Amino acid sequence: MSFADFISLGPLITLFTAVVISMLLIAFKRNHRITYVFSLLAYLMALTAIIPAMLYIPHTVPPLLVVDEFSLFNTGLVLTSGLIILLLSYNYFEEREERKEEYYLLLPLATTGALVLVVSRHFMSLFLGLEILSISLYGLIAYLRARERSDEAGIKYLILAALSSAFLLFGMALVYAFTGHMDFPGIGAALRQAGYIPVTVLAGFGMMLIGIGFKLGVVPFHMWAPDIYEGAPLPVSAFIATISKGGMLVVLIRFYVDIHGNDYSMIWWMLAIVAVASMFVGNWLALTQQNIKRILAYSSIAHMGYILVAFLSGVQTGLEAISFYLVAYFITSIGAFGVLIVMSSSIQDAETLDDYRSMFWRYPWVATVFTAMLLSLAGIPLTAGFIGKFYIVMAGVNGHMWFLLFMLVINSVIGLYYYIRIIAMMFKSLATGEVTYIKPSLPVAGNITLMLLTLLLVGLGIYPTAMMQLIQQMMKMIV
Amino acid sequence: MNLHPTTAGLLLAGILFVLGLISVLIRRNIIFMLLSVEIMLNAAGLAFVVAASHWGQADGQVMFMFILAMAAAEVSVGLALILQLYHQLRSLDSDEASRMNG
Repeated sequence: MSFADFISLGPLITLFTAVVISMLLIAFKRNHRITYVFSLLAYLMALTAIIPAMLYIPHTVPPLLVVDEFSLFNTGLVLTSGLIILLLSYNYFEEREERKEEYYLLLPLATTGALVLVVSRHFMSLFLGLEILSISLYGLIAYLRARERSDEAGIKYLILAALSSAFLLFGMALVYAFTGHMDFPGIGAALRQAGYIPVTVLAGFGMMLIGIGFKLGVVPFHMWAPDIYEGAPLPVSAFIATISKGGMLVVLIRFYVDIHGNDYSMIWWMLAIVAVASMFVGNWLALTQQNIKRILAYSSIAHMGYILVAFLSGVQTGLEAISFYLVAYFITSIGAFGVLIVMSSSIQDAETLDDYRSMFWRYPWVATVFTAMLLSLAGIPLTAGFIGKFYIVMAGVNGHMWFLLFMLVINSVIGLYYYIRIIAMMFKSLATGEVTYIKPSLPVAGNITLMLLTLLLVGLGIYPTAMMQLIQQMMKMIV
Repeated sequence: MNLHPTTAGLLLAGILFVLGLISVLIRRNIIFMLLSVEIMLNAAGLAFVVAASHWGQADGQVMFMFILAMAAAEVSVGLALILQLYHQLRSLDSDEASRMNG
């Protein structure tokens, strides 16, 4: 490895080293606070390591990895989200689990997996990143041993994730058997040279779609999502909803662009069906749910459908729209889960709709934050979610995807219903007589994090130009 | 029947893969489900080796190494989870582990 390779992969190497060091640290002295602070520092250092990496872009580490503007932007996004999730986790685990230090091994490790995904341009690094992410997630999901639902969620995720990676691998093998290449540009060149897609490669792409779709949680590979969100610890649910999906989406974009996916109508149609189905099923199933974790799970399925619409528009603005939407979606999802974390007591998660009844009159500040997050998820103006959706619609118009846009608009209306339902629940007047509510823990760090997220959310909703300029700059490279 | 060796190899891998898939779908015991997934993973590994030998490259074999390593990691985590589940449920029937639905 050359010097430039080291600098370019700085964030990745920093975080990875930090995981090893913190493992030794735990072996040496078991202390929650020390491990926590060390992980925070590790994330901060990994974030600073992005700055020197910018000097060398675009830089390829052949044949596996590529570091360009697009991957650095997403590296930053993933690391920042990881940091925020870490900030929200301390209190949550302090109150719940006896042995909480290993959480700070698994979370950075899973983040590393996502970082590998973000920079990968080869089947091998895609597979490695995916598995680093998945195997850490099995541990994270089942982390709270005392909770009866968590090991059920863990084993469900394990079997299904292993099944889906088997599909992904077999699909890769089929593509490799025909093209003789495992790096994305090589596959694209081989397919272009052949001039058509033979049945084996098409089957291979289909099987890869199962593996990728599972991680993204799109219909029809979404069955796991609500159960895992419900059973996993709340910070881990936030992680699955954001970083794990975002990392996979970045690989999908890179793969699709490198193989010139828009030239082949079959691939386009496969993704279009998945997008429409995700929007409808996600929003439809969320309507009747009583558990907020499950509502957020279904809503994230629908949001992946929205992102796929921009993805399929096949225009430059589509990729910019996805990046902006991802930023908005990350902020909003982590914010929403953050509210759930803050509102949970030390023994019970605040997860049913009834836990939020007339919350506005009891905890006006948290209720305001939650309202802002839900409005952003629904795409109401003055929030980042609205701008994100606006860019997606614009990309769809540029690509003349009238049918997909029509579906998106219908679904936004359906989605509005269940977000408003939660908000209405919070604004109900206080019940008379004896009602027992969950006693929220309301940690200080959590509250500050939520405040920052809300400021970001509204800031991006009112003044998106700065973020959009950044995104436009980095997107010049990829197309 | 005279098949090209590569086609034959891929066909074998495909058959193994489908057998594993059927087995995952019909088995109720979690350990057997894990075993069946291993069969599917190894089928994918076999497909990689066949494809690599067709192109005369070593990439497929390298990939197979990775698949082996990943499968081992997965099984170790999986067995730990299964032990814990068994402590709670006193059974390895996957239908028992369905307290969440909707």
